[in-house]
Parts: sequence; C-alpha cells; structure tokens
Amino acid sequence: MKSRRHVLATLAVLTLLSTACSGSSPEDSTGGGGEGEQGGGELVWAIGGAEAAVGGLHQQVTELWNEQNPDSPVRIEILPDAADEQRNQQALVLQAQDSEFDLLGMDVIWTGEYATNGWVASFEEERGQLEDAGVLPGALESAQWEEELWAVPYNSNAGLFYYRTDLIEAAPTTWDEAVEVCTAGAEEAGIAPFVGQGAQYEGMVVNFLEYLFGAEGQLINEEGTESLLLEGDAGRQALEFMVQSQADGFYAPGFNTMQENEAVAEFQSGSAACMRNWPSFYAQLVGEGEQAASSEVQDSTGVTTLPTFVDEGTTGVTGGFNIGVNAFSENVDAAKEFAVWAGTNEEAQLLLAGGSLPPVIASAYDELPEGDPTLGLVGDVLADEKTGSRPPAPTWNAISQAIQQNIFAAYNGEVPVEEALTTLNDEINTALGG
Amino acid sequence: MASSVSTAQERPSGAPPPERERARSRELSESALGRVFMAPSLLAMTLVALFPILYALFLSFFEFVGREQRGFAGLGNYATQLTDPRYWDAVRVTFTFTVAAVALEFLIGLGFALLMNQAFLGRGVTRATILIPWVIPTVISAQIWFFMLNITPGFINAALGLGDFNWLGQRPWALISLILADVWKTAPFVALLLLAGLQTIPGDMYEAARVDGASAWQRFTSITLPLLRPAIFVALLFRTVDSLRIYDLPKVMTNGANGTETLSILVQNYIVDQPNPGIGSTLATLTFILVLGVGLIFISLIGRNLVIGEE
Amino acid sequence: MTTAPAPTGESVRRAEPATRRRQGRSTGPVARDTAGRRIGKSALLLVIFLWCLFPFVWLISTSLKNSTGALNSPNIFEGPFGLQNYVAVFEQDFFFNLRNSAIVAGTTMVVCIVIGSFAAYALARLRFKNKVLLLSGVLAVSLFPPVALVPPLYEVWRTIGLLNTYPGLYIPYIAFNLPLTIFILVTFFGTIPQEMEEAARVDGASPFQAFYRVVLPLAAPGVFAAAILIFVYAWNEFLLASTFAPRDLAVQTVPVAIASFTGAVAFQRPIGSITAACVIVTIPMIILVLIFQRRIIAGLTAGGVKG
Repeated sequence: MKSRRHVLATLAVLTLLSTACSGSSPEDSTGGGGEGEQGGGELVWAIGGAEAAVGGLHQQVTELWNEQNPDSPVRIEILPDAADEQRNQQALVLQAQDSEFDLLGMDVIWTGEYATNGWVASFEEERGQLEDAGVLPGALESAQWEEELWAVPYNSNAGLFYYRTDLIEAAPTTWDEAVEVCTAGAEEAGIAPFVGQGAQYEGMVVNFLEYLFGAEGQLINEEGTESLLLEGDAGRQALEFMVQSQADGFYAPGFNTMQENEAVAEFQSGSAACMRNWPSFYAQLVGEGEQAASSEVQDSTGVTTLPTFVDEGTTGVTGGFNIGVNAFSENVDAAKEFAVWAGTNEEAQLLLAGGSLPPVIASAYDELPEGDPTLGLVGDVLADEKTGSRPPAPTWNAISQAIQQNIFAAYNGEVPVEEALTTLNDEINTALGG
Repeated sequence: MASSVSTAQERPSGAPPPERERARSRELSESALGRVFMAPSLLAMTLVALFPILYALFLSFFEFVGREQRGFAGLGNYATQLTDPRYWDAVRVTFTFTVAAVALEFLIGLGFALLMNQAFLGRGVTRATILIPWVIPTVISAQIWFFMLNITPGFINAALGLGDFNWLGQRPWALISLILADVWKTAPFVALLLLAGLQTIPGDMYEAARVDGASAWQRFTSITLPLLRPAIFVALLFRTVDSLRIYDLPKVMTNGANGTETLSILVQNYIVDQPNPGIGSTLATLTFILVLGVGLIFISLIGRNLVIGEE
Repeated sequence: MTTAPAPTGESVRRAEPATRRRQGRSTGPVARDTAGRRIGKSALLLVIFLWCLFPFVWLISTSLKNSTGALNSPNIFEGPFGLQNYVAVFEQDFFFNLRNSAIVAGTTMVVCIVIGSFAAYALARLRFKNKVLLLSGVLAVSLFPPVALVPPLYEVWRTIGLLNTYPGLYIPYIAFNLPLTIFILVTFFGTIPQEMEEAARVDGASPFQAFYRVVLPLAAPGVFAAAILIFVYAWNEFLLASTFAPRDLAVQTVPVAIASFTGAVAFQRPIGSITAACVIVTIPMIILVLIFQRRIIAGLTAGGVKG
C-alpha cells in the first residue's frame, strides 16, 4: 500500500512538473488569449472597462475601422476594469519601452505623466485636423500638456444631477436651491436628501472640483505651475458648502463612504431624493433594459445639469478617455491614423453616443440618438465656460492625494476650512513645483 | 529481523568501534549534508528575492520627481519620511491593528483548534467550515465585509437593527471593522497551525494527569500550552509579520480613510500610484526594517531554543 | 532499549503503530457527555458555524441574484434569483483560469514542501554553523513589501523571458513561501524526539532514510498544514500574478481574471459575477481542505491510534 501511495505521489508530481515545465499551452480562444502577432500591420489597442469587452462599444468601433482598413486592423487587448490597474499595466509595458501596445486607452488625467515620460507620440501636427473636425475644446484640453497635444480625445464624460420628479417639481439651478428642494422633498418621503461621491478617493475629488468650478474657481493656472485655490472666494465657498452639507444632513448618512455604486444603489431603491452621478447610470434607473428591471424610480427619475453657485449656466469636470500612441510602437503612423479617425469620424462617434458614451465632436451632439436625455445634457455641460478638467499634470496623483486627504478631513469636521485650504494649496504647489 | 543491514557484527579487529567511527564521519559530513539540504531553498530565495531587495535599497538613496531620477540623495529620503507625521500615523495605525488583530486571532484560533481536535459527530464538516474564511481570496473577503458593514446597503446594520451606524466612515470604528474582517479571515490560519501542533502532544500525558487528579484547566495550562509553544510561536510570528504589512483589506474597505492608512498603503501609494520610486523604496525599506525588527525580537525571545535545539 | 524497527519498508510499517502507540498520537480528551455539555457544545458549534459561514452565505446569495436592485439591497432573500452570473463567468473562459491556478498552486505547493523539508531537517537536526543567522535570513526574505520588489523583478523576468509563463509565477511563489514552510517544518521536526532517528540509525539507516522513513511521517500534521497554507496563498495571490501574467489566457490565474470582470456600464461594479467567480473558486478549495484536514489529524497511516 505504501508503494502504491509512492507511485501515485510520484505520478502526481511528475504530471505537475511536466505541465509546469513544458510551458503553458497557448489557447486560441475568444477574449484575446495569447500574444498577438505584430506582423501584417496589426495594431494592438490596450483599453479596459465595460465597453472593451467582446461586443462592447470599443469593439464595435474597431470593427468599423477594420472593414474600411483591412491592411491595418486594430485588435483590442482587454485591460482590467479599474483605471488604476489599466495604468499599471500600460506603465509596465511603456517603461520597458516595449512595442506590445500600439494604441493606449488613456484616462484624461494621465496625459501629463505619459508625455513627460516620453511614452506617447505627439499629435501637435494633427491639431489643426482635430479642430476642423469640431473636437470640443474642453476635450482637447484634457489631451494636452504644456501646450502640446499628446493624445486624441475619444469619448468624454461629465457628472449630472439626478432628482426625483415625484418629490421635486422644478430642477434646481443653484446649490442653495438644491438644498432647499431636496431637503423638502426628502422630508416628505422620509428619505435622504442627497447622495454623491464622498468617500476618500478620486471620485470625491471630482465632486469637490465640481463645486469649485461652479463657484467660478480654478484649481491651477494655465501653465500648470501654480495653485489658484486661494484666489478669490471660490475655494472657501466650495469647501464650506461641503462642511455645511455634512453637518446639516443634506448629505445622506454614510456619504463619506459612498462611491458611484453606493450612490446609485440608494437612489435606485428610492432612498434618496437627489444624486450626483455619471450619465452611464441612467440605464440602471429608467428604461426597459435589463439593468433597470428592479429600479424603484422608473417613472420618477429626472436628470439635469449640475447646479452652480452663481445662478447661470452649469458646470462640470470632464472625464472620459483619450487615445494615445505608444512612442515605441512599430506602427506609429498607422496608429496615429486610427486614433485621429476614432476621435473625429462621425459614424464612430455616433456609435459611442448610441451606447451612452458622450462623444467628443460637436456635430455628434446635433444628431444624438433618441431615448437618452443624458447625452444632450453632457453636451450642454461641455459647452459651458465654467466646465473645467482635472489638470493632467504628471504629478496629478500626488495632487489628487493631497485633495483627498485635506478635503475629506475638512468636510468631516476634523480640520477647519482655512487650515485645510492653506495646507492643500501648499501641497499642490509642491507637487507642481517639482 | 536484524539480518538485513547490520554493520555491528563483523569488523576487523583493531579498528575503532563503529559508533565512534560513524560518529566522526557523521560529524564531518553533517555540516556538508546540512549545506546540501539547505542549498535548494537558499538558492530559490536568493535568486528571487535578493536582487530586488538590494535594488529597492539602492533606489531609496536617490531623489526622484515622478519617475525621473534627479540625483543622489543619500539619507535625505529617510530624513523626510522619518519626520513626516503621515509616516508616524501609519506606524501607529499599523501597530494598533497588529496587536489587536493578532491577539484576537490567537485566542479565537486556539479555541477553534481545541474544538477541531475533538472527536465528535460532524467534526470533518466543522473543520472544513472553520477553514472556509481562510480560503477565500483576501480581496474578495475585503469586498464581502465592505458590503456587509458599509452603511449602504447596510447589511449588518439591518441584521442587527443598528439603523444608520456608519461602520466604515468614522474613527475608531473603521479600524475596528478592519480588525473584525481580518480576524474572521485569518483565525483559521492560526487554528490550522495550532491544530497540527495539538496532534503532536501524546495522549497518555493527559491520561496520566487526569489520573493524578488534574482539572481540565490545569491540564490545559500545564500540558497543552507548554507543548504547543512551537506551533504558537510560528503562528504568532507569521501572523504578526503579515498584519504589519496588511494592504488589501484597508485598501478595499476604506481606501486608507478614517484612521486606517497602514504602512503598506503608504508604500503602495508611493511606488505605484504617484509614483515616486525614491520615496517608495525608502518607505518599503523602513517598513522592512520595522517588520524584521519585530520578527527578530520574536525569534530571540521565544523561538531560539524551540526551533534550533542545541547548536 | 526497546525493539528498534529495522529500516526496511515492511518492518518500519509494522513498527509504526507501535511507535505511534508509544508516542501516543493524540486525538484529544474524550468528552464526558452530560446533557448540559451537549447542549453547550451544540450552541457553541452553532455560533461558530454562523460566524464562519454568514459572509459565505451572503456570497452565495449575491452570486445567485439577477437584478441590480437585489444586488444592492440589504436583504439576502430578495430575488430574482438565477444562474446568470455563473453563465457569464464561464463565458469569459474561466476554465482556463481555474486550470492555470491549479497548476501554479499545485507546483508551488509540491516544490515548496520538498525543498523546504530538506532545509527544515537540516536546521532542526544537523549541526552546522550560523543557524540563527540563516533562519533570520530566511525570515527576512518574506518580509520585504512585495510591491517594492515587483518592478525590479519584472525587469529581470522580462529580460529572461519568463513573463506569461508558469515558471514565471511559481518560482517567486516558491521563494516567498519557503520561509513559512521552513519555519513550520522546523518546529514540527523539533517536536519529534531524537531517539526515533537514533534508533533507526543504529540499525544502519542513512540519515536520509531516517529522515524519510521516521521523521517525515511523524511530522505529517505539520507537512499537510503547510501544504494547505502554501496552496491557498498561491491560489489567491494577486500582485505578482497581475504583473507577470496579466492577460494571457494561457497563464492568467483566477484572481487576475476576477479583477478583469466588468460591469454592464462604466463605473458599475460587477458584484454579481465577482461573487459567482468566488464561489466557483472556493469549492475546489473546500474539497482540498476536506481531504487535507483528515491528513492533519490522522497522519499518514490510516486509522492512527485512538486514545
């Protein structure tokens, strides 16, 4: 019996070692298994997120291109879902100066970092072409650093204000108004007035900047060298509003641990009167799609642009993705062609709009598909002067961290407003000064 | 029976007694044998870990802005970090977490081990159940606890009728939530090691003690605990050094907010998020020194004789 | 003194029950079953089951939920229920990931135990210099924050060509698990009285045979405990796996695959498929644990010796 056990054990070990040593069997499967061959002009587009999956919008865009350009087809290399992980995986390849990726799905805040590291090819020559095609100025801004264009805007994004139409008659246009109507409506139904993104993470930074820009404030100057947080009253106004909201209960309980999903969960189950969130969640609240099947607020969801502090227009913080080209790619020219095409071709951009991804060219906003009110609203936001973007500085992560730490502490009442703003101002200057 | 291999029978007269001869050759080859036995392990560990550790140490002496190296900084990075209150906050959080979590894990793990050691109906299922928390991936278990504890959707709040208690959004409950989640997940690790240790305790000792009239508690304190010391040592040592480096749990549950920023979160922030390889490597080295220090204290206080025996 | 087992297979096996009887493999104190005790014990068991399984029940119930509302509600019994999430998970080629994780974790476990037990035996039994130093060095290896080791290791792996290969994963796993393995095995070897091996050696067994035939079986609980721990670690490890084998389905392991699940729309957390994948992943682990836990208790010879 012992010898049989020995034999079994030896067999098991041998099997393991043989599979382990012979290397893995390359699987030819859907979903991008195996390394793509770089020969034949194939371009590899490294992008992640919900729409990069098989059947998603990005795949549809590549199919459109492949039909028309069979000699330089684009293949998507699916990256993980979280933006941070996408950046890590791209950085690994780029830092090694590898040519595995030709095209990069870049979050709007990575432009400066990629540019300063010499990872991406310049698009300055194509700037004229992009402007002629009607790319929105706000989107172009997010793709440039130090006055040079480093990527092509691909899709945009901006936060919107959702509210319960059965509790609130007219959509508020200022934050004071919002506090009033949301609190009144919430009291009526016994729910919380407002949910948003208040946890200590990047989403909170976006929320804060929306308040800041809505007060006609700026974060940093045009050249990207100095913090403008303490200029004028905007910073103070924005932060004090947050402090007040948290203390008075305008913000729902648990606001300071909420991310996008928690906020929409509360609103969808009818536990909040108003919500700040991205347009993509509209599908979860209204409509006949599978997503909205369990929505308690099917018939009572209204959506509008964000309120401001100045009672005119609206504001927002642009999000979205740009397409960059790997500077070490072997097909830089072909890749740049695709990038420009994806960002300017009307058909491609309308494809995105059809899937509720805000496009980046002005003409697409004139021909929006029906049934989705959010896209038109995003168009309005992107057109407004007060709308700004998170500066795509190379040290954006350090700046974001500083904002997270200081603003979070301040609005939770742990640190006085003045002190928080001063510290934050200093830390931003340090990060930019580098 | 003794016919198979016996060298004790025939030997040439005048030769030294076999035991002594064998003893001498045993001594000669013992250290060589020791080296041979240790070689594969040492090789694997040095090949993989030594170069990266040295490289990280090397980087910590340089100044970086973003990913760009800007020159030699000597001990500058260390000075900056050691005077940074954020660093010391992280140290405090990490130590508090470690002490509380390891203590609880030990007590609960010991209880589990004693239970799993018993013979009763359904003990196989019980043992498997107790080990389930450990086999779930850390990131997933962190997500589970986030969902259960977070005020929205408020699973635990609903189950226990706590209303709107903000577990993760206030000090000190955020840290307490982390400790709870960690203890849930890793008490089985301690239990497993202690269970294996309990197996090495001879049953007759208990019998003899019972015959002598010792109570259950006395048997526990004078037989079980002392004989379990080796297993306790290993369990505590590794749980401590793991807790000192905890990352996934606070990252997923609170992202380091509300007094839960541990050393590893700080390290990860500077190495991956920002990144700043200089400061990141500095923090990694400081963490390493801290954890190694604690580990060495453990070994020298408790472990020396247990593990090595006579030199 | 007593009859020493001769170092042949047969007699050692025959002698083992005697050895074990002498050493008295423990099965713990026999419980005197009064009614109160039984009730108390059952209550205790119930509490333990609840404590361990409650989150797991949440995991299973969430994985079976189909709608976004149910997924986010505090009520675990709120439907609708269905197997949609599991279907979605397997549509993403999850089988490959399971296979990859099994191979990597299995190899890590086997190699770690083998070379670790040699090293542990040397440290516990043989005489040579600088044991404490070596032991501390061994411990130190596993202490450096792995996140700091990843960039240089990635460079080396890329140069050698170990990216997206099995060895690229299990070699570092083995290296980082050896310290724990060695420590566990050293303590367990240490609990075995030296007389066992003396007896075997007197009868002419080589040190290796003494180790293999006498010490290892007696240290079986520790060996199997270490085996489970190594397997679980390698199975659940994310950082190195996501760096060295991020996307290639031929090598991608389970935790990395789970991290690449996406929701239906941007920003949405795919909690349904994540929990479904986790349940799928946990089941083989539970089976493994069920098998191994008997080994920890019973040791290598079937039926040990009770009481």
